[in-house]
Amino acid sequence: MYKSTNMSKRLTKFTFVGALACTFMVSSIGLVNADGHGVYGPFPITEKSYNGPKKNSVSYGGQIARQLQHNGLKKLASKGNPNDPTNGPEKKMLSYLNTKDKSQTLAILDPAPNSSKFPIKQKMIGELSGGANLSGKADKRIQTSWPGFMSGVDVIKFMIKKAGKTKGGVDTRNGMNYPQLISKYTMGAVLYHQACDNYLDEKMTADSKPNNKPYKKGAYYTGKEHSWDEAFGYWGAAAHTMKLTAAQSYDIAKKKDLKAADYNNDGVVDLKTEMTYAHAYYASSYDKTGKTNYLKNVTKAFIDGRKLITSANGNKLSKAQLDKIQDYVQIICGNWEDVIAESVFKYAGSTYKALGKIEKALETGSGMDAAMSKYLKYWGELKGFAMALQSGPNNTSDTFNRLNRMMGFGPLMPNLSQVIGIDSSGNYIKDQGSSIGYYKVHMLKIQKLMAKEYALKAKVNDATGGMAALLEKVGTKKSAEND
Amino acid sequence: MEFHTQIIDTIYENFFDPKKRVFVGYLFSAIIISFLWLGFVKKKTLTECFYKIFNKSIFLSKSAKADYILFIINIIILMFLSPILITQLAIATIVFEYLHSQTFLMPIEANLQYLWLIPYFFTITYFVIDDLTKFITHALMHKIPILWEIHKTHHSARVLTPITIFRTHPLEGVIFIVRSALTQGVVIALFFYVYGNNITFVTILGANLMSFWFHLLGSNLRHSHIWINYWNWLEKILISPAQHQIHHSIKKEHYNKNFGVTFAIWDYFFGTLCTSKDNEVCKFGITKNEHKYEHNIFYLYLSPFIGIYRIISKNFISRFHNRNKQTFIIKNQ
Repeated sequence: MYKSTNMSKRLTKFTFVGALACTFMVSSIGLVNADGHGVYGPFPITEKSYNGPKKNSVSYGGQIARQLQHNGLKKLASKGNPNDPTNGPEKKMLSYLNTKDKSQTLAILDPAPNSSKFPIKQKMIGELSGGANLSGKADKRIQTSWPGFMSGVDVIKFMIKKAGKTKGGVDTRNGMNYPQLISKYTMGAVLYHQACDNYLDEKMTADSKPNNKPYKKGAYYTGKEHSWDEAFGYWGAAAHTMKLTAAQSYDIAKKKDLKAADYNNDGVVDLKTEMTYAHAYYASSYDKTGKTNYLKNVTKAFIDGRKLITSANGNKLSKAQLDKIQDYVQIICGNWEDVIAESVFKYAGSTYKALGKIEKALETGSGMDAAMSKYLKYWGELKGFAMALQSGPNNTSDTFNRLNRMMGFGPLMPNLSQVIGIDSSGNYIKDQGSSIGYYKVHMLKIQKLMAKEYALKAKVNDATGGMAALLEKVGTKKSAEND
Repeated sequence: MEFHTQIIDTIYENFFDPKKRVFVGYLFSAIIISFLWLGFVKKKTLTECFYKIFNKSIFLSKSAKADYILFIINIIILMFLSPILITQLAIATIVFEYLHSQTFLMPIEANLQYLWLIPYFFTITYFVIDDLTKFITHALMHKIPILWEIHKTHHSARVLTPITIFRTHPLEGVIFIVRSALTQGVVIALFFYVYGNNITFVTILGANLMSFWFHLLGSNLRHSHIWINYWNWLEKILISPAQHQIHHSIKKEHYNKNFGVTFAIWDYFFGTLCTSKDNEVCKFGITKNEHKYEHNIFYLYLSPFIGIYRIISKNFISRFHNRNKQTFIIKNQ
């Protein structure tokens, strides 16, 4: 009798503690989602004119379609073939630039559609949106970072044309690595430009796309809700990013962590909400160093901003609410700009190192092919990101003039030739540059310029970082002392 | 950081950072060395050693008190001056960038087998070059009249204690900071250019390996009243505490001798070496003619300006006189 009473007491205690723990866990999860900090969406319908069946006002399928078009473009840029009389590679690339995939004919190329390690839900770009293309959204301003006084879309088309006619997309004569140039520049000219120079800029003013009206006639989301969602889509973070580590977000972009990506546990990755793309991927790569928190800073500001817009319940945003939205915009676009500047810094460092290998190859007479391949890849990334940086709201500062002057329109080649312009037929014009050593100094100065103008913290591949660390180690004298 | 916190931090750093000469660990090692020296070499009793080392009349003398005050005031002055001085990073960057425009010195891909040697090579080279630039600067402080006016503040000390290193005019402090920045900037940039990220300092407790041993083995006894000398042959390689005390001697024959800090070889090469053998120091300091009110704080700060003004005006007046004389002669020819 005594024993059974004791047992029952223990069981009661165990059940009580267990129940308490379960309640705590469930309520904690509930809280994370309820306060909107956990996941970007779902958010309720607040548009008053809508009476349909939709329950979630979040919509950014068009932006994810563009992320996938960008991925596809990068893949195709490395398939250039000078011997193809039909211009097949160029045509295919142009279809990923121009096509609105309403009829679902544009296949998703990256992530690979048939991977068993990282299975994806959608196979065609049109499954995400049938009304989105890249060309319609590219920066329309004249690009001073590229020769020929072209607009953003013309620059991309020019690069596509060249890439299609170049074996593997890499022009070793002029030093152009088109897959890198096209990819990084498109990230800036379309994705970053649309988010920070359009949706979070003009469209976050009081009169543009107001919150008390649908985004467009018949829409289930308000003007402000959808503008905000579209900017989030361009950022490229998975909706559940706040629940992931930077390394997990990075691995999702690399298609290495299905478990982290598959938030709803349906066994496949929903490319709309469970994937990391472009800018968010680069942010995660810097955050992995532990020195920055770009990805979560931006994603959290997006979630908080969306929560604020939703809280207006379909009414016009007040002055105080618009001011608060501007605070979030500052966080988002400030951090975003820093992420791109970190990339310029990083690839200036990589290019500097690669130039050292070129010097070595020139000296020893061996290893030039491998050294050139790396050099052109890094330079392509550097140039692409530098151009992307100039796709934000401000594209005419002295910083950019200096940046463009120091890296030039093309990399300095081992024979010291360098692209300086484009003739009327679209051919590169070249001239003699100075010396590799001098060009290396330009890379150092680019790093210095980025560090001075932006609040960089990760500073990956800092070419003089080791020297600065040594000087710090030796210390400075703060006292007047004799020896 | 608040003003007073910054002052306290700098004082704290001087005594608790092993990179600094008056780090408590080095002061303690200096005391131990003094006991061992006086006890075993000079055959003094423990009590005699104690009274000799902790001599109240020295540590509480007017001269020593002036040292302590200068130490604090200089920290405050340099807090304002340091930010406007050229940094070693700026110098290193200029040198590093310049190196890219020449082909004489090129980056080396070090053999992996000898990679471990590079930090030792770098640490020792840096220490030797740093010591050489200290020697040169010190010699110039004595040889150039304007600089001597500034350096006199240090030599006006009548007693030597480890804190006497801080009996330094702030102008001299600035000169030393610039020297240090130049040496660090140039040497580190050169090595970094050639060896890249393979270079690092070999350190003990964060201090340069060589500096650590130099300080641990009694660098603080250079400014002390404990006469410790080495064998004559060793004093031609390393400066002993006694040799530096000779440098501070008031005797005329000891003037402009032993400018070296760690190595005596520089003095040996430049003919300024004076070993302790057959030499004795009776009194430290400079003559009253050189420095009138040697322990007056106000005067210690002011005297270099007065001295420099006198030198400049004397030169200017004599040149002016000479020119007038020449004009007069030409006119009357």
